[in-house]
Amino acid sequence: MSNLLLLLAVVLLSTSQVLQKVGAARRLAGKQKPSEWIAALFSPELLAAIACIVAGTALWLAVLYRMDVSRAFPFLSLTTVLVMAASRFLLDEPVEWHRWAGVVLIACGIALVAST
Amino acid sequence: MTSGRSIGAACLGASIVLSALGQLGMKAGMQNLKLARAGGEIAWSLASSPPLRDAVFFTAAGLVAYGLSLLAWLAVLVRYRLSYAYPLLALSYVLVYVGATHWPELAEAATPQRTIGTLLILAGVGLASLAGGRASR
Repeated sequence: MSNLLLLLAVVLLSTSQVLQKVGAARRLAGKQKPSEWIAALFSPELLAAIACIVAGTALWLAVLYRMDVSRAFPFLSLTTVLVMAASRFLLDEPVEWHRWAGVVLIACGIALVAST
Repeated sequence: MTSGRSIGAACLGASIVLSALGQLGMKAGMQNLKLARAGGEIAWSLASSPPLRDAVFFTAAGLVAYGLSLLAWLAVLVRYRLSYAYPLLALSYVLVYVGATHWPELAEAATPQRTIGTLLILAGVGLASLAGGRASR
């Protein structure tokens, strides 16, 4: 149950990252005035990003209720793996090999923390 | 824009620290909620239940810190590539670990596996974030 909540939260928070990046690139780049930023927050991309964050955070609170934060929080770095893959395959950002190597180290770290 | 780079770095730093504070606050909130429930103290009056009051306070403070970290993060995203900036955010894993094991409110146990695992994650973060990454447009 806790693990399922954790997985769902990770997927929602990763999705939000990608939506935030798309929103920032399309709606925020070059904008200086606070009023322009507030208007941009109501764009479809950033509204969807906020919805994912809100749902993911609610699930996250349910996870924290059941688990040590020093054990649960490292699992959130799974979002790094998902976001890295999305950066490469959905956003077409170049991702160098050492970044993938970093992802592998992160995954090893998670596995170690998960074993406690 | 002469100060563009330092603004980006400041936003990145603020985002990392605030997200760690947010996690610790939310956990402290949930910890106190559990205490309140265990003591059968779920009452309508916050004043009559210190754990419930603390639960509300810490959860709210954690959510505010988390929200502010997201705003700082949006400013980061304008300036950096996601595949570069996002792994740096994982520096907050170390801050959360130190906070969770040293803050008396949480007092979680530091185990060798968690310590080594957290350090591995930090090494992975360093590697994943190495070199480059200014948004190209």
